Amino acid sequence: MLVPISWLREYVALPDETEAIAERLAMLGFPVAAIERRPRISGVLTGRIASVEKHPNADRLLVARVDVARENPLTIATAATNVAAGQTIAVATIGARLPQLTIEARTMRGVASQGMMISAEELALSAEWFEDGIMQLDGTIEPGLDAVELFGLETDVIDVEITANRPDSMSIVGLARELAASYGVALTLPSFANPGSAEEPPGESPVVSIESPDCYRFVAQRFAGIAVKPAPAWMRVRLALAGQRPINNLVDVSNYVMLETGQPLHFYDAAMVAGPRFVVRNAREGEKIVTLDGVERTLGKQALVIADEERALGLAGLMGGASSEVTATTTAIVLEAANFNGTRVRRMSAALGLRSEASSRHEKSLAPALTDIGAARAAQLLCELGATAYRPRTFGGEVVASPAIALRVADVERLLGLPIEARRVAAHLAALGCAVGPEKEGTLAVTPPLWRRDLTIPADLIEEVARVEGYERIPAVVPSVPPHEISSAAFELENSIAQTLAALGYREIVTHSLRADDEGDAVEVRNPLSEEHRFLRSSLAPGTIEYLAGIATPARVFEIGQVFRRDGEQIDERTAVAFGFSAGRGDEPPWRDSNFLRLKGDCEALLRAVTGREADILPGTHAALHPGKTGIVRIDEIELGAVGCVDPRLSKAFELPGNAYLCLLNANAIPAYRTPHYRAPSRFPSTYRDLALVVATTVAAREVEHAVSEVLGALCTGVAVFDEYRGPQVERERKSLAVRITLQRFDATITDEEADAAIERVLDAMRERFGATIRA
Amino acid sequence: MSDLTEELSRLQARFDRAVEEAGDEAALENVRVAYLGRNGEVTKVRRTIGTLAPQERPGAGKAINDAVAAIEARLEERQSRLQSHAFEEELAASIDVTFPATPSGLGSIHPVRRIVAQSCAYFTRHGFAVVVGPEAEPDYYNFDALNIPSDHPARESFDSFWLTGTMLLRPHTSPMQVRTMQQHAPPIAIVAPGKCYRRDAVDARHLFQFHQVEGLLVAEGIHFGHLKGMLTGLCRELFGSNQSVRFRPSYFPFTEPSAEVDTTCPKCRGTASTCNMCGGSGWIELGGSGMVHPNVLREVGYDPERYSGWAFGFGVERLGLARYEVDDIRRFITSEPDFLRQLS
Repeated sequence: MLVPISWLREYVALPDETEAIAERLAMLGFPVAAIERRPRISGVLTGRIASVEKHPNADRLLVARVDVARENPLTIATAATNVAAGQTIAVATIGARLPQLTIEARTMRGVASQGMMISAEELALSAEWFEDGIMQLDGTIEPGLDAVELFGLETDVIDVEITANRPDSMSIVGLARELAASYGVALTLPSFANPGSAEEPPGESPVVSIESPDCYRFVAQRFAGIAVKPAPAWMRVRLALAGQRPINNLVDVSNYVMLETGQPLHFYDAAMVAGPRFVVRNAREGEKIVTLDGVERTLGKQALVIADEERALGLAGLMGGASSEVTATTTAIVLEAANFNGTRVRRMSAALGLRSEASSRHEKSLAPALTDIGAARAAQLLCELGATAYRPRTFGGEVVASPAIALRVADVERLLGLPIEARRVAAHLAALGCAVGPEKEGTLAVTPPLWRRDLTIPADLIEEVARVEGYERIPAVVPSVPPHEISSAAFELENSIAQTLAALGYREIVTHSLRADDEGDAVEVRNPLSEEHRFLRSSLAPGTIEYLAGIATPARVFEIGQVFRRDGEQIDERTAVAFGFSAGRGDEPPWRDSNFLRLKGDCEALLRAVTGREADILPGTHAALHPGKTGIVRIDEIELGAVGCVDPRLSKAFELPGNAYLCLLNANAIPAYRTPHYRAPSRFPSTYRDLALVVATTVAAREVEHAVSEVLGALCTGVAVFDEYRGPQVERERKSLAVRITLQRFDATITDEEADAAIERVLDAMRERFGATIRA
Repeated sequence: MSDLTEELSRLQARFDRAVEEAGDEAALENVRVAYLGRNGEVTKVRRTIGTLAPQERPGAGKAINDAVAAIEARLEERQSRLQSHAFEEELAASIDVTFPATPSGLGSIHPVRRIVAQSCAYFTRHGFAVVVGPEAEPDYYNFDALNIPSDHPARESFDSFWLTGTMLLRPHTSPMQVRTMQQHAPPIAIVAPGKCYRRDAVDARHLFQFHQVEGLLVAEGIHFGHLKGMLTGLCRELFGSNQSVRFRPSYFPFTEPSAEVDTTCPKCRGTASTCNMCGGSGWIELGGSGMVHPNVLREVGYDPERYSGWAFGFGVERLGLARYEVDDIRRFITSEPDFLRQLS
């Protein structure tokens, strides 16, 4: 909301300059988004044109004599065409400073011109909002007054943000009240007594029938003796400073009152309303209305309209209709100051894609009491413009004060940590318009003002006390946190996975959870921002592969994040871990892949670090991985995920130049860390034997290792397949495995004979189980 | 006897030459073995003692022992000279230490996690637990339980991605407040970091997927001053000990009183009216906070007359923009290698 500081100063004697006022508002909860500095203007006086004559030497110039309450009128030559004797205008006298120029004495085609009559633009007002040529002032204005002072032109304008709970402060009065309370100075408001008391002529008294519970109150008031013309200059200037375009005296009064009091108003041309009987009702399905912006709109039942007996006249709280609009021929009007259900207005506004200054206030649920205030203020202004005001007629609910809130003074300190006396609490609340009863047994009975519907419980009042006191006065204290039993285990596991992967050389990335691809059971977003982000990821694999494909150089990356799947009506969500790397296509034979082994090593290291246990990795399949290069990762029979080479078809789809290797784990399945127990090594030396076993290619290295351990039992302290060979030196479909077996006794040094005998047993078992032959 | 003496002096002369010729410690060891070893020359001479007359034997023994002592001394002296010579040579080496290092192969954690971890470490040091939870949440946890009933205008300010009629991607981490309070009796002291989603148009300051750190402390006697104390400490933890923190009144349905939290712009520290980080205000906005609304406490079965508490929620990427002076918030999600490397 644009707020000219000069307008605020009219109601409250602000002891500060603009910057400090903006700061003060921010600390009251109304941040100032921008401060517009108006240019400095001086030397502009009001003047009355005494005469206008043709310039003796120039066809296109006029020469005016302008009374500025000096000894002699000023002679001013002008090229403007809208000047005539008797007009009141603004004159920039010699030496005057305007935003674009400084006025000097000069001779125009032989006539010495003693100043310049000026347009709105020369006062830094929007030219298109005012008449072309010289700005016309009201005839009632005395000549010789300082125009800058008279119109409050030398003011800064601040753009104030107002939170949804404070529609009362979407007004000059509301903000002035806040500042008055905060500075501890008096608030001087115009009277909100309605001057209308006359009874209408028979049959012209407006009647409102409220057929919807979403209209709480409707004040209707008739005004006659209206002449539609431009509003007085002061009002036009003030509206322009507040960002509101002046239209005519009636529209300007309604906008002025809305900005000042916060109550939106609507004026109907009384001649265009049948009755005058108004009905507040739901729109009929398909009902049409042309709104003030000239657009024909088709309504649904959710729209709330103000209608006469024949047709809809306007959209409640949103925008009036063209049919009853005030026009140049209007002579009598009916004012509407109504209160509507904010939610209803908000939904109608959203459904029609139409917003207005009025709806931005109504949708936040205004206080019904504002209707009377708005009508009264409008009546005063219209009477000043010469209208006759009739008695305001009110329909709908009465204005009822909120019930008193019992505020325990001790609770103020309990919640704020700020010691404060009851007297001070009461003073702060009273400054905001609350009625505060005397303290009884540590409790204050506080009745919120009629315009504050947001104050309903003691905590609301405590916030008000804190705001007026100033949040900055509350001392900052570090609390001592009482002991509790809440576990951080899931977070710690995630962090420990991340730290370990970083130590293993992987960089953490964050990618989008919302993707374009649906892998069949993906969860769909009902209202996506774009097709790019329509589905929730069900795996981290696509994002990781896409990332690896998108960067030029090979990289090692990881991501930890949530993945989602449809599970009937439910959404199955889990925390996933993906890590892996891109690699060039090597020249290894199809039965060997050292990149796979590197990734598998990292997978084992990660799981050992975070669980204290050894992972088991056995052949298997995974949708994203190469069918012959996939291992399923388990710990103690619990399946944790898969490790493998990305399926080359998928790599191709993502335009990955080489291969990628990925380990995909379900973090929720990773078991908790189990503290390992130490086993002291044997004091006796060990020995080892290396074997070269030729077995079928289908025999897995791990089966061989298991068989060796099983045959040797405690005698074997280590067995590892450390090489594989396939080629001309062994038969087809067979491979040679190099195995190192470490042998050791805990009670004595193992002898060569014992070791040889043990190896014989191993060889027998290998022949028997795997059809192994021994390679020399 | 004189033969033996002569023999020893010839032997010693040969030995002296051999020692001089030994250029390193290994050669010197060979000399030692050749003279003093099991089949060494001195040993051979000693074996001849048995051929001498008994009265000559003591003198011969002494002469041999003297020779051995002299040889050993000479060996030792030569050894220490060789050693110091070897050190001299080794120490004469000199390299260019400015030559680029071999890359370590260390990875890194994402700057978002770094901020989250550091924030959580601060709170855990003060006795808070860290909890995490789902991103797809029912509207009950996101709104209803947080004092935002279905027709409340604030629902629209959390412009959310809906998955079903009731499930949505959480637009804030506050559901974790409700989940934790429903699972545990007070006192509650938690921080809840996590990913959130809002249907915001993406630009240099907005993402539709971002992270928050939520905090909640509920116990007897907890007040707004405690909120100020903890959050001031957090900002100093993240930005340095000179950091100022400002609390401005604001409005959130789930807190009362409510406050926006600002901290000194770490880039210009309020000195540059053209600062692109704070827009010249000297402050950057961290997020919302306030005293937990009595309706929220009641919803989870806590007595608001007895327990009070505060909550806050900060945007992590926003903190990251200020902390790392990042020009565009989208960099946190594109995760470009150079970005990750610089902030690792």
